Amino acid sequence: MTSAKAAAEPPLRLVLSSLVRADFLVFLKHRRALIISLLLPVFVLVSTAGDKATHNFGGGEYVIGLAIAYGLLSTSLIGYALTVARDREKGVFQRLRVTPAPTWTIMTSRLAMQALANLIIAIAVVIIGSQIHHISPSPGQYALVLLVSILAGAVFLSIAQALVGLVRSADSVQAVARLLFAVLILLGILGQSGALGAFWSSVARWTPVGAVMTLFAGVLNLHAWYSRDTLSLLVCVGYIVVFAGIGIRWFQWDAR
Amino acid sequence: MRLDEVISAELETFLGHASTPRGVVESCWEKRYPGAPVTERVQVLRRGAQRTYVVAAEHEDGSLLLAPEPAPSAQEAVPAEDHRPPVAVPGVAGILQVRDLTVAYGPKMAVDAVSFEIRQGEIFGLLGPNGAGKTSTLSAIEGLIKPQSGSVLLDGIDSRRHPNQARARMGVQLQATSFQSELRITEIVRLYAGLYGVGLSGQQIADGLRAIGLEGEAHKPFKQLSGGQQQRLSLYIAVVHDPALLLLDEPTAGLDPQSRRQLWSRIENIRQEGGSILLTTHSMEEAQAVCDRVAIIDNGTLLTTETPHDLIEKHKNDPRVREVARGEVTLEDVFIGLTGSEIRD
Repeated sequence: MTSAKAAAEPPLRLVLSSLVRADFLVFLKHRRALIISLLLPVFVLVSTAGDKATHNFGGGEYVIGLAIAYGLLSTSLIGYALTVARDREKGVFQRLRVTPAPTWTIMTSRLAMQALANLIIAIAVVIIGSQIHHISPSPGQYALVLLVSILAGAVFLSIAQALVGLVRSADSVQAVARLLFAVLILLGILGQSGALGAFWSSVARWTPVGAVMTLFAGVLNLHAWYSRDTLSLLVCVGYIVVFAGIGIRWFQWDAR
Repeated sequence: MRLDEVISAELETFLGHASTPRGVVESCWEKRYPGAPVTERVQVLRRGAQRTYVVAAEHEDGSLLLAPEPAPSAQEAVPAEDHRPPVAVPGVAGILQVRDLTVAYGPKMAVDAVSFEIRQGEIFGLLGPNGAGKTSTLSAIEGLIKPQSGSVLLDGIDSRRHPNQARARMGVQLQATSFQSELRITEIVRLYAGLYGVGLSGQQIADGLRAIGLEGEAHKPFKQLSGGQQQRLSLYIAVVHDPALLLLDEPTAGLDPQSRRQLWSRIENIRQEGGSILLTTHSMEEAQAVCDRVAIIDNGTLLTTETPHDLIEKHKNDPRVREVARGEVTLEDVFIGLTGSEIRD
């Protein structure tokens, strides 16, 4: 054993490619979880298939937006937050941190895989949703959906990051994530449908789910893009800045 | 004798303006320790690099001419204690230098101005009861926690200023190692080899796993391995990049005697190949069997640093040690005598 082989820091490209390859393998092994994450969006799409139900949510574009938002919420808040909390508790991050890999590469690799999962969910929901709700997005709109998926995924990932930043134990993260998930879903469905009244309807519109849903609806119906969609975009950016800031500031690599 | 880091810093300042250290040593030494005999060897730390000088000539005016220390030949190696192979070379520059390391968790001082040095090819044991500061010391060296003060120089690299460069030179086996549970053994090895900048082919990984008796487990996830297998894999990954220093935090905790002996043998092999090792342990048997030198730490303070043999010789007549000894004084008697008999949580 000599120091000859390890004389210098390893190339960043090799570090990143090693992390991404490993995280991609984990991603492939979790493909069942990805399919389960699609169940709720598909249920939303199918259950709102009638004209009246679609109208209650503001149209097919809004329903698709809501379904994508739920898919991204599920995979980010439940999937990402729980995986990070569990790996932190098991000491996986500590083991990675004693290597020369910069810490930002560890998180970047994980977030890249999460972004990939978000894109797959968004595309799948748009394809299924456009069939059920008789919408024909153009290739440009598909591209916009992908862009918004990245933004929307970042909203939910930043919330997940804030959660694992503020809560240490994996059990507590799981409990809070599920509670948050349920609250956001109920607020989204009941608020947007108007079942809770005008006040909750406007509250729901500016929640992370509401803002994301509005954005998706906006890019699926560009002719009707107006100031509320632009405001939703700004609100999403605001959520990302605030929650990511909290998540990065208070994140601990060690659960103890 | 070597200069402490304060004098080294003074030398460094001076050397920033002079091409030769001639005449510096005695002035610094006199300034710091008036009337003390002058040193014969000087280790100078400069811009993260370390140089060792010896006195080449003494001038009539009392000044010294220093010259770089020649690299020791194998014949010059001094046999280590306890009849172990003569790999550790006393006098050779330290691979790890820890100076005044202080770690605090809020108001609690976990490590209090701890200083020690590990030489090339040396197995150094850090002993202490639960909560003594062993893991905190290791974590600070590894860069997992930020010390309040002090310095850690690994192979000449300041680990606080260049943590990733320092980590590239160290191999680590944590107390509770865990790898991604979804990954198979070969995938884990490939990942960590890549993180250390080592590209391994499938055949090389297979050969490596065969060498540690895990060729049949290559496609299993880490969690399906036994405790001994997990430790073997963990050690294999820790040395996959041939580190200058290997840090082992209680490496044999929870292992059966066979696995423990096998791990000792692997540690000894790593040392035979020139590696330096810092390990923490609760086992005095392990410390005596494996370590060239041991340090006892308690309440965050380093109590003593000796070879196991010298530690026993030095303290065998200490009343605290005699009180706990049953017959011939052992390392464990010395340990309990110095750290107390009360149970730690």
